[in-house]
Amino acid sequence: MSILELEAGHLGALTGELRKLPAFVRRDFLVAWSYRMSFVSDLVNLAGQIVVFYFIGQLVDPSRFPTVGGSAVTYLEFAAVGIALGVFIQFGLDRVSAAMRGEQLMGTLESVLMTPTAPATVQLGSVAFDLIYIPLRTAVFLGGITLAFGLNFSAGGIIPALLLLIAFIPFVWGLGVLTAAALLTFRRGSGFVGLGAVVVGLLSGVYFPLDLLPGWLSGIAAGNPVALTIDGMRDALLGGASLVDIAPTLALLVPFSAASLALGLGSFRLAVRRERRRGTLGLY
Amino acid sequence: MSAVSAPSSDVARSRAAVRVLEDTSTIEARALVQRFGTKVVLDSLSFEVQPSTIHALLGPNGAGKTTLIRILAGLLVPSGGTVQILGVAAGSSRSFRRLIGLLPSGDRSFYLRISGIENLVFFARLHGMRRREAARRAREVLEEVGLEDAATTRVAFYSHGMQKRLSVARALLADPPILLIDEATHDLDPDGARRVRELVAAAAGRGTAVVWATQRLDEIRGFADRVTLLAEGRAAFAGTVPELMATAVPRRYLLRLRNGLPVRYSLESAGRSALGSLGTLELVGESSSEHYVLALADEVVLGDALAALSRVSIDVLTCREERSEIEQAFLALAGKSE
Repeated sequence: MSILELEAGHLGALTGELRKLPAFVRRDFLVAWSYRMSFVSDLVNLAGQIVVFYFIGQLVDPSRFPTVGGSAVTYLEFAAVGIALGVFIQFGLDRVSAAMRGEQLMGTLESVLMTPTAPATVQLGSVAFDLIYIPLRTAVFLGGITLAFGLNFSAGGIIPALLLLIAFIPFVWGLGVLTAAALLTFRRGSGFVGLGAVVVGLLSGVYFPLDLLPGWLSGIAAGNPVALTIDGMRDALLGGASLVDIAPTLALLVPFSAASLALGLGSFRLAVRRERRRGTLGLY
Repeated sequence: MSAVSAPSSDVARSRAAVRVLEDTSTIEARALVQRFGTKVVLDSLSFEVQPSTIHALLGPNGAGKTTLIRILAGLLVPSGGTVQILGVAAGSSRSFRRLIGLLPSGDRSFYLRISGIENLVFFARLHGMRRREAARRAREVLEEVGLEDAATTRVAFYSHGMQKRLSVARALLADPPILLIDEATHDLDPDGARRVRELVAAAAGRGTAVVWATQRLDEIRGFADRVTLLAEGRAAFAGTVPELMATAVPRRYLLRLRNGLPVRYSLESAGRSALGSLGTLELVGESSSEHYVLALADEVVLGDALAALSRVSIDVLTCREERSEIEQAFLALAGKSE
């Protein structure tokens, strides 16, 4: 078999695997749609958060607030971007890690893994619906806040912000898969998600500027990919940063994302292999 | 490989694999060992399954049936030994999983919030079928298992028997050369169990090799072609069902007796003294005065015992073995005989 034939074979296998992803999206959409009330309560929850932060914003003196890209911003504008991404991370971590656990609890994990589908496809497929739904949800959140409170988001910053988000998705996905691997191995892993929540809440600048942290903690937080992304998105959406302006942030973010995804998928593969060896794949 | 046309899906590849490897044994397990901690669940177990054969794995609880099924399915890596399925080593490779259809023993292996047909379309697509082909195949197998009228009903509303049939439908989706079935009928009513057996027998008729793990002795007679009886992780017996029955040495019989003696003699005491050292006679229950269990002593044949009873004017109206031959063989070979 020539190298070309071998490559064509690999390409064919990859295409075959990618063709399976819409099946996962359809399955999860149908399952989610069967819980219609959950959709509605999720949107009500989002609206509630917006209102809460609007009133908190009334307590903060705008003059004490840092500028973004040379422009003064309100607390609500500052927090809205952070919260949008924070909720995106929290929701993403939770859903990605819960996807495999859900399969295990429903008893469908072994049936899925019995099909000729690569574990990576199963993992990606299990979150494919969320990878579409969560950014849409985030966009609805930001759109809603802009319409309701007349916030000053820069239209020119939308594309750079989207690019940052796309570069950031593998980072969240990787952490989620890592958590899924931990859940598969230890069965209980809410602590991992809780740790993620602490990092997002404290060291990422979601709710307050990182300058307010003690010096040593502020230094650590500055290297946090979550903080980098939130800063970059604020620069883009509130300060009108261009693609060139966010390029350094992207250059820092991409290796983090690649490492996170590789670590997550590698751990997940090891976790599945361990479960097969122990015969406990379907055990919950 | 030139004989194999370019496959359009995983299903086509599994069929191609069967065509290419049709001369080899379908399943070959060699010296399988499985330990969980210090407990040895399978101990140097070897067996083979041929195409178009229903191979029953019989054994009491804890004999190792489910463990063996899980090893054959590639869900468990054995501590020792090898499994080859159509020449492919058991494991997690996609080429291996194309060959297997599994009916798990658990009753939760579907997405309960979506319909039966949507479940099947999903699994068909994971087998590499395109959406239209998957939908067509899902409808086909639903019809085959008699669930076409419940196709669009959520699985949550299926009865237990319907879920089992849906499980059969899923296992048949990709028309695999091997079906592994773990206790498929243990909690079904007789009609539901019969329907599942008919579906599996039909698949075997089309060339599928079936491994059917069960502890229900009654269902393997007239259904399984071969049987491996597992006891404490070892093959206590391997052969055909008639060969298994031939190993049974019945020692206990249910008799219906009529007292032809003068009224003052009790049938029970007269029977016991007539039998002497040939065996024992015990009344069954308290409500009946004519049903007895005859237990033969070692080396005694049934005819001698019945003749002894006749000699004292006890009429033997009916005589049958207390347990079926399969049950006796099972109990004897599994080391559970009384």
